[in-house]
Amino acid sequence: MGMARQVFRIVGKRIFQLVLTILILSFVTFLMMKLTPGDPVRTILKVEDMETSVADEEELREAYGFNDPLPIQYGQWLWKAAQGDLGASFITKRPVLDMLMSRLPATLGLTFGGLLVLFVIVLPLGIIGAVYKDRWPDTLSKWFALAGASIPSFWLGLLLIHWFSLELGLLPVMGTGTWAHFVLPSVTLGVAMAPMYIRLLRERLIQTMNSPYIEAAAARGVKRGRILIRHVLRGSLMSVVTLFGLSVGGLLGGVTVVEILFSWPGMGELIVQAVSQRDYPVVQGYILIIGVIVIVVNLLVDLLYTLLNPEIRYGKEEG
Amino acid sequence: MKCLIRNFMFLVLVLFLAACNGESESTSNEGTKEEASGGDKSLTMLFSFASDSLDPHQDAIGVRAGITETLLKIDENLEIQPWLAEDWKQVDETTWEFDIRDGVTFHDGSKVDGKAVKASFERVIKENDAMDAALKIDSIEADGQKVTFTTREPHPIFISELIHTHASVIKADEDQIAEKPIGTGPFTVADFTPGSEINLERYDDYWDGAAKLDEVTIRFNSDASVRALSLQSGEADIAYHLPPEGLDSIESNSELKVESVPSIRTHFFLYNQQNEKLKDQKVRKALDMLINRKVMVEEIMNNHATEAAGPFNPDFPFAGEEESVEYDPKQAEALLKEAGYERNEQGMMEKDGEPLSLKIATYVARPELPLMAQYFQAEAGKIGVDVEIMKIENIDSYLHEKQEAWDLVTYSNLTAPRGDGGYFLNVAYLPDGSLNPGQINISRINELTEQLNGTADPEQRTALQKEAVAIINEEVPHSFVMHPHIIVGVHDRVKNWTPGSEENYLITNEMDVE
Repeated sequence: MGMARQVFRIVGKRIFQLVLTILILSFVTFLMMKLTPGDPVRTILKVEDMETSVADEEELREAYGFNDPLPIQYGQWLWKAAQGDLGASFITKRPVLDMLMSRLPATLGLTFGGLLVLFVIVLPLGIIGAVYKDRWPDTLSKWFALAGASIPSFWLGLLLIHWFSLELGLLPVMGTGTWAHFVLPSVTLGVAMAPMYIRLLRERLIQTMNSPYIEAAAARGVKRGRILIRHVLRGSLMSVVTLFGLSVGGLLGGVTVVEILFSWPGMGELIVQAVSQRDYPVVQGYILIIGVIVIVVNLLVDLLYTLLNPEIRYGKEEG
Repeated sequence: MKCLIRNFMFLVLVLFLAACNGESESTSNEGTKEEASGGDKSLTMLFSFASDSLDPHQDAIGVRAGITETLLKIDENLEIQPWLAEDWKQVDETTWEFDIRDGVTFHDGSKVDGKAVKASFERVIKENDAMDAALKIDSIEADGQKVTFTTREPHPIFISELIHTHASVIKADEDQIAEKPIGTGPFTVADFTPGSEINLERYDDYWDGAAKLDEVTIRFNSDASVRALSLQSGEADIAYHLPPEGLDSIESNSELKVESVPSIRTHFFLYNQQNEKLKDQKVRKALDMLINRKVMVEEIMNNHATEAAGPFNPDFPFAGEEESVEYDPKQAEALLKEAGYERNEQGMMEKDGEPLSLKIATYVARPELPLMAQYFQAEAGKIGVDVEIMKIENIDSYLHEKQEAWDLVTYSNLTAPRGDGGYFLNVAYLPDGSLNPGQINISRINELTEQLNGTADPEQRTALQKEAVAIINEEVPHSFVMHPHIIVGVHDRVKNWTPGSEENYLITNEMDVE
């Protein structure tokens, strides 16, 4: 009963936060795009290869309403967005929602692949680091984390392509279609994200191993392996899950670099182009969707946290 | 606990060894697969700019991929040739008549007649603001295979504008134009993943003879290193826009070759005419002589560029016959002295107590441009001219919105994208032009351009453009440095195909694989 009420309260609060955050986020993005030099007019008129004049540019600027006061421009976007209309791209003329939604699955798929690699790397290295604290396996895990944190992901991606596609001929260089296409982008993403989590898991494990309830369990004669998995790991995973919630935005950002490198048809590839072309409707739509994803993931993490941690779950009622 | 970890590590080791074994097995599989695929006629091309839409009226990929075609095109000699229109004539100043080739069909089998062409052009001027401004079409009449265009004003380069990829003829009354446009080209769209990949299939009833290839895949990747690696791994047959450095591993591979063709692009320095010092023609001439074009072509471009002697690729008939300016620091110094500059105690060039110090803006989107700025900085320093380099993110907007902040800029343009130099003369020299942030305003060029804009006769146009080039080289509002080459990596198995200077018709019905 108390549990349901708590979940309900969290969800309600989060929906309010969601709306507020999206409002602020979209306004700040809009403002930043408008304040940096440039607008899409020159791209729309294709001045790079079409004969146009400054007068044509000015005419188009007027027609698109870029000369209107900023609050009016933002208000118009917001009014339509609230009705579910994200507008059309200035450059391709396609509906923004279609453009983004057709690319969302690829981005989510790659993010999921990256997470999978992340866990495969983080769990063993984090555990080894903690169990062999300050001995050579720990040092090894530390070096791996350091190397992973120092290598830029685009370079790591190039190295992986060189080894696995060119030298060994095992995996495709780029594109999508088969499971093999997932491997290199996921590994690049996973390795780039892993270091922080390896160190975090190690610290948490060491902390938990030294806590009284683990010592008590050991004193009761529970086997060490069982302690490690049943108690220590479970206790420590929570902080990792929390951190994941906080860094999901960063993960979606990291996906962008990987997407460009591997011709991955996700949203990141689209958005880099949209930002440089000042394709406002596309950028605003992207911010909206990413904002919703980040907030929803954080909401789920909070709920998961409540489930995992009995202290929080019963804290209010029993305290 | 130690026992557990030891077991775990052993397990990891076993898995790793198993993985290694798996690798060597699949390597041999790969070998046989490649042999087997030698029999089917498919080709993969890598291109650098991603397309988010296949709509030929918004994106160049329609023509590039062999899906759609234009009424006219420029051939390998950069001359305008009939294509879907087999003949045309100018009736009066604003009226143009075209005969559409008989026997051309759209991918759905329907005939391409005057009515279909009319519908296609009505769509493009409605959907694309730039094309509306460029074509200036007032009305279109269709009668059988004849189409008559009336322009809003006299428009002598109407013919040249029709070469633009966006002037593609498509079946206009379709819903899926952004995903599966219906054109007249040798290939139809089988599948399209925006930003990533297009899969094409042969169109058997293509009017110029069905393609030799069954299937073509075009992949987009903006990373040049990845494109090169993909070519080397055998995954791609043609890789466009490879970087001039690091071609060694491709050149040394006996199965691959590097094609290098002069582009219709020009890299140049643009002088800001609002800067008092740069208003002096002698100063601009002196700076022009400090550009070591030969060394830049050799060292920055690894010889994958042609020295520029004017705004246009020398293969164009209107480019003029002048030689490029020789690097001559002594003469440059003498010219500066003529302009009133003297060396001060620090060895810097100075006039009226003010040193000659210039800010040059550059950007990294074309990596050779910052290098050009650095070479120039070093040469200028030798004769006491101080040059400060500024790397700018959004260069186009910066140049227009912060005109007081820069003195020179390294820049790059397609100077005659549709086989006519009128484009560059209009946009880069007229005070109202969209590529004139340095506010160039030379009355002799303005007059010539106005005259050009009222001249339709090709020979007269060529003569007028040559005259303009001569004045440009005298006045030096720009310093033209080089025409970079289009560098394309090609696998041996590709036959009947070489890249051209114009990058429109990339996929052809003639190209083949072994």
